[in-house]
Amino acid sequence: MGVMSELWKGLRVTGRIGLRSLVGRGIVTTEYPKEFRTKPQRFHGRHVLNRYPDGMEKCIGCELCAGACPAQCIYVRGADNAPDDPNSPGERFGYVYEINMLRCIFCALCVEACPTEAITMTHLFEMSVTSREEAIYTKEELLMRPDGTVPHPRPDDPYADLSELEVADGWVRATAPSGSAAYEGVKMWQDTAGPASWDPEPDQETRDA
Amino acid sequence: MTDQLRVITRRMVEHPADSHTLARYEATGGYRQARRALDMGRDELVELVKESGLLGRGGAAFPAGLKWSFLAPARPAYLVVNADESEPGTFKDRQLLERDPHQLVEGMIIAAVANEVHHAFVYVRGEYPKPARRLQRAVDEAYTAGYLGEGIFGSDYDLEVTVHLGAGAYICGEETALINSLEGRRGEPRLKPPYFPAAKGLYMMPTIVNNVETVSNLPHILEMGPEAYKALGHEADTGSFLFSVSGHVNRPGNYELPHGLTWRELIYDVAGGIRDGNELKTWIPGGASAPWFVPSDHLDLPITKDATAKAGSMLGSGAVVVMDDTTCVVRAAERIVRFFAHESCGQCTPCREGTTWLEMILRRIESGAGREVDVDLLLEVGGNISVGLAWPPRMTTICPLGPSAVSPIISITKYFKDEVLAHIHGNGCPLRGAQR
Amino acid sequence: MSDHVTVTIDGRKLEVPAGELLIEAAQEHGTYIPRFCWHPRMKPVGMCRMCLVELETPRGPAIVTACTTPVSDGMVVHTRNETVQRMQEGVLEFLLINHPLDCPVCDRGGECPLQDHVMAYGPGESRFVEEKRHFEKPIPISELVLLDRERCILCARCTRFSEEISGDPLIEFTDRGNGVHIATFPDLPFSSYFSGNTVQICPVGALTATAYRFRARPWDLEAVESTCMHCTAGDRINLQASHNEVVRILGVDVEPTNQGWLSDRCRFGFQYVGSPDRLTVPLIRDAEQGHTEVTWSEALDLAATRIGEVLAGSGGQSVAVLGGARLTNEDAYALSKFARVVLGTNHVDAQMDDGLDPQFLAATVDRALISDLDSAKAILVWGPDLKEEHPTLYLRVRRAAQELGAALVVVHPRRTGLDDRATHKLTYRPGEGADLLTELVAGSGRASQARQALAEGPVVGLVGRTGYGEDPRLAEAVAAFVRTLPDARILPLARRANIYGALDMGLAPTLLPGRVSVGGEGARSIAEAWGGLAEHPGLDTRGILEAAAAGDIEVLFLVGADPLRDVPDGALARRALERVPFVVAIDQFLTDSSRLADVVFCADGFAEKEGTVTNLEGRVQKVNRIVPGPGQTRPDWSILDDLARRLGVELGFGSAEAISKEIADVAPAYRGVTWDRLDWEERDGIVVPDGGEAPLRFVPADTPGTRAGGDLVLHLARVMYDDGVTVRHSPSLAGLAPGAAVHLHPDDAARLGLASAETARVVTEQGEATLPIRLDDTLHRGVVYVPFNQPGMPPLGPGPAVTVTPA
Repeated sequence: MGVMSELWKGLRVTGRIGLRSLVGRGIVTTEYPKEFRTKPQRFHGRHVLNRYPDGMEKCIGCELCAGACPAQCIYVRGADNAPDDPNSPGERFGYVYEINMLRCIFCALCVEACPTEAITMTHLFEMSVTSREEAIYTKEELLMRPDGTVPHPRPDDPYADLSELEVADGWVRATAPSGSAAYEGVKMWQDTAGPASWDPEPDQETRDA
Repeated sequence: MTDQLRVITRRMVEHPADSHTLARYEATGGYRQARRALDMGRDELVELVKESGLLGRGGAAFPAGLKWSFLAPARPAYLVVNADESEPGTFKDRQLLERDPHQLVEGMIIAAVANEVHHAFVYVRGEYPKPARRLQRAVDEAYTAGYLGEGIFGSDYDLEVTVHLGAGAYICGEETALINSLEGRRGEPRLKPPYFPAAKGLYMMPTIVNNVETVSNLPHILEMGPEAYKALGHEADTGSFLFSVSGHVNRPGNYELPHGLTWRELIYDVAGGIRDGNELKTWIPGGASAPWFVPSDHLDLPITKDATAKAGSMLGSGAVVVMDDTTCVVRAAERIVRFFAHESCGQCTPCREGTTWLEMILRRIESGAGREVDVDLLLEVGGNISVGLAWPPRMTTICPLGPSAVSPIISITKYFKDEVLAHIHGNGCPLRGAQR
Repeated sequence: MSDHVTVTIDGRKLEVPAGELLIEAAQEHGTYIPRFCWHPRMKPVGMCRMCLVELETPRGPAIVTACTTPVSDGMVVHTRNETVQRMQEGVLEFLLINHPLDCPVCDRGGECPLQDHVMAYGPGESRFVEEKRHFEKPIPISELVLLDRERCILCARCTRFSEEISGDPLIEFTDRGNGVHIATFPDLPFSSYFSGNTVQICPVGALTATAYRFRARPWDLEAVESTCMHCTAGDRINLQASHNEVVRILGVDVEPTNQGWLSDRCRFGFQYVGSPDRLTVPLIRDAEQGHTEVTWSEALDLAATRIGEVLAGSGGQSVAVLGGARLTNEDAYALSKFARVVLGTNHVDAQMDDGLDPQFLAATVDRALISDLDSAKAILVWGPDLKEEHPTLYLRVRRAAQELGAALVVVHPRRTGLDDRATHKLTYRPGEGADLLTELVAGSGRASQARQALAEGPVVGLVGRTGYGEDPRLAEAVAAFVRTLPDARILPLARRANIYGALDMGLAPTLLPGRVSVGGEGARSIAEAWGGLAEHPGLDTRGILEAAAAGDIEVLFLVGADPLRDVPDGALARRALERVPFVVAIDQFLTDSSRLADVVFCADGFAEKEGTVTNLEGRVQKVNRIVPGPGQTRPDWSILDDLARRLGVELGFGSAEAISKEIADVAPAYRGVTWDRLDWEERDGIVVPDGGEAPLRFVPADTPGTRAGGDLVLHLARVMYDDGVTVRHSPSLAGLAPGAAVHLHPDDAARLGLASAETARVVTEQGEATLPIRLDDTLHRGVVYVPFNQPGMPPLGPGPAVTVTPA
């Protein structure tokens, strides 16, 4: 009887896992959202626009991120900095900066393209929204506050883990295809007022050890 | 001691008090040759100068007669006398202008007649106010005497002469930059081709540009005849030659000499040897643009155009700059390169950017912040201005100013590499303190 | 092939035209030699040294710049051997040592020749460890152009352009050596009408335009080729938009028209397209509330009802149409057909009483091409100051006189932009042109030398109205004289946008589409195609306005027309518009005139619609669409189509392209002109009639009218920047108008007791104004010059009689 034997096969798996959970070994389920899995160091979460330690915006509105974006989800417009009250060093700053998170594929090509390390990614991945408009993150939501903290979409949510925004994917630069092995072990980014202190990419020997 | 010649310097030596006046000039046979020239045609004069083998004295040593024969047929043609003597180490024209200006005026009349020119210009270096004043006075005297202006010497030949004072740019000694400057434009060399002065020079008309010394020789060629003039010199280098010897010698100055002496004779006999009993370290045989000579290789070389060229340098305008063993060669090279970087017109990229870069590197080496790679870097940057660092240079620039700045680089890395490396390893000049 | 020589480039034997520059010859055969300073439209200078190549000579290999070396027979050239590659790397390394590398914020980043060359030919890394050269950046050198001297690679393209091409050398190199930089003269900005070209030809981002600065990056631009509709030369342009907004216009190098150059008005005048003041919905005027927004149906119904009443009552004679020069040919044809068939009127005029006889403009015999200027031995310009009104022609005439050796005779009441290149310049008092022409014809008096200069052909005569005080018939008389000269051709000049296309589509009282005169040969077949034509004699703009002021016009259509500002006699236009009971405007803005309209339809404009335009030589070219119109705007033909339907006539317009096919069928001179040809085979345009017949051949006759002039005559003429609607709504240009002023010759000013006065009262038959005085000794004595339509200036009228008294 083919049906019975197949049914037996299936129940055997269920039974085995049920038994194992009774014993308490090898449980794979975590009770998200009360509990978080530790995400890999290079996890690509939502973006953040960084500032320099003096409070200046790093973004210069060059649109290279928008140009690199394969999903065309970034919209940037540049404008002249007021000479006496500049937003960023130099002549130009990002006047409009929007990312459509519904389109974003979190590939981090924008991070690679950025000449000033203005845009980096964090570990925050919970970005559920109730309308399409909300999914378009504006500069207000993306830009780090002058005190170095990053706006969280739902800071009051009891399950929100604000520390996710403090972890940045500082690995992208050192492992970029255009990178060079010579930079292993070298800190390739400037110190920022950002949330995380980024360690340099370990060299091959350390990694293999 | 070698005897000096007295051809173009005779009058100023024999009559130091008033050699620059018309009265003295005429009393010593002046303006006779100009009158003679008026009776000769263009062809005869050009042929005469060709026979004399007169070489241009501005630095390139191009045969003057040949230059004249290239003059395009369009008229009006112009004669421009290049008195923008700015090559570091050169001071011969200054003496000719100051002490014997009528000799130049007479030469100009001859050159003008030979090239059917009715308006001649003298472009005097801006920093030469006294020579310019003397020359202007001589020109005024000549006008008053009827030797210039309408119907010179009573003939039907008109000749206007304008003395123009430059504004202090070395590059205006380059003939096309000089022409630009004379026209009121920026003193930037023109492209050759198509703007060869003999075809499209001043105001786009055929123009002869000759050096002061070249023109000053003309009355003497007419007077003594081409053969006698030729005999003054040494083989291909005809006539006498003014050497401006400067630097660490006991008797610096202008010396009128034939070619063919050895450098040893010039430096030790004529110029009285090295000051304070120091040792000769190196010398520049022909102005700041020329690669340097060193005693070990070149002291017994004959001073001729060909022998100098064969040894990888040039006689140029005859400026011999002598340096003794207290000289820091890096500093000397840096000073020369700084001069060229400062005097670059800024028109073409390799010269504008390259000379400044060379200057920066040399300054860094001299200050002790040099790196070992800088020696190669100097040569490679130099090689991007003067391809292959060859002599004569294969230029990537419009005019030879850029490659001129490479000459000292070639010289110090060739003959004094240890001293350069000592700067790099020892945080600065090993001779510091020994210098004066 | 004696005019060809054989050269060997990188081992390939090539036959190239003798005398061509090596860089061009190589490029034509697929070998690109990198360059920065060389520009095909300017003389080579060999400054950047990027194009160095190696030549094999009997004396060994020689290094030359390919941009200054003409090819010669047997030449052997290496463009990519080791020496050349090293030199190229060297030059690029040199150029980069002082280049700031701020590419991410540089407008050129992404389309930068320096970037591209470094990628293709440059060294991998720089070995320069010293401090770069620094300058203050950026500095505005004019209202339109910013200069960043750090980025500059000193190629001299901009300085050469100003000297060789545009003739206003206001930027130059200063300092020397490593300190060389571009500068303007103290207290003298780079206020050239052509400054935008320097931005386009700059090989780096050293010169940037305020209008485009930081507005977009090259990779988010969409581009389409189109034709400029500012002046009537039909300049070929590249229209570029980012995110549905026009952000930039670049000149396209085509031989027949603009050769790559554009005036700043062409280049920066696009900004009005995206102006927030654009009309986005139809409006109806209410006696109390002014204009209120309504739906299309409401507006169309109201217009149809009122027009229907008038047509049923007094017929087409009491309906008139003004405007149409800003339309494409397709829209103009639609308007022409609408007026003739639906409204039944011949009171149609696209000129604003400021031009010439429409038949002369549309169909003169011996009409010249712009390119004829290149081969001309002599050029006569008796018309407007080309620099102010026909910038493209100005550049072309300038080049002919400066580079190609043409004799140039300029006749104008005051100085013009071409004076410094003119062989002969004659000034005269408006109204006395006939006397000067008599002298010129006879070669007597002060015109004798000028007459001699015109003795050798081919001669090209550019004729037009020097100013609005001038009798339009004088231009025809001048044209008649030009026709007597050897191998002569004529370009009759009018300045308004697509005026030649509008006239060719019959937007004139005496013309029907395709260069057919009303009642003349060919009119019958148009009548058959259209099912009837209006019969009564048509009035021109002046006639229409006079009739309207007298109460004889009951419905007035204004189609992209602003007679209050554009008609020289603005006071007459106001009286007319205030008297007409029902005014319909189709416009992009609420202008002074459309403010008086009872119904205002919002229309698509330039860059928002596809179509064709015709330039002053009769060249038909395509205009293209790159952005959608704002709000509810519609193309003009579609508005007219709907209106006609409500009036009970089916015009049958389905699309602009369908109209273009109807034009090709109906309009004789436009036979065979299709969008396909213009889009693909003939992008430089088709000069009509192209194989099609041209029934009308207008022969200019010497019947110069005269106008009375008193002690002083008024010279009212256009300048490039005025208070017109497109300039006013383009922020970059809006501030550039020189301002209202009265220009007097110092002698006249002294005679009138105004030598030291600041302002004067200027009174003409048609109006009066108090204006600041400018003394101008280039004026002919007895001439009072007032620039037309300046901000804040009341309408003065064309004069010509004028009195100037102390204010």
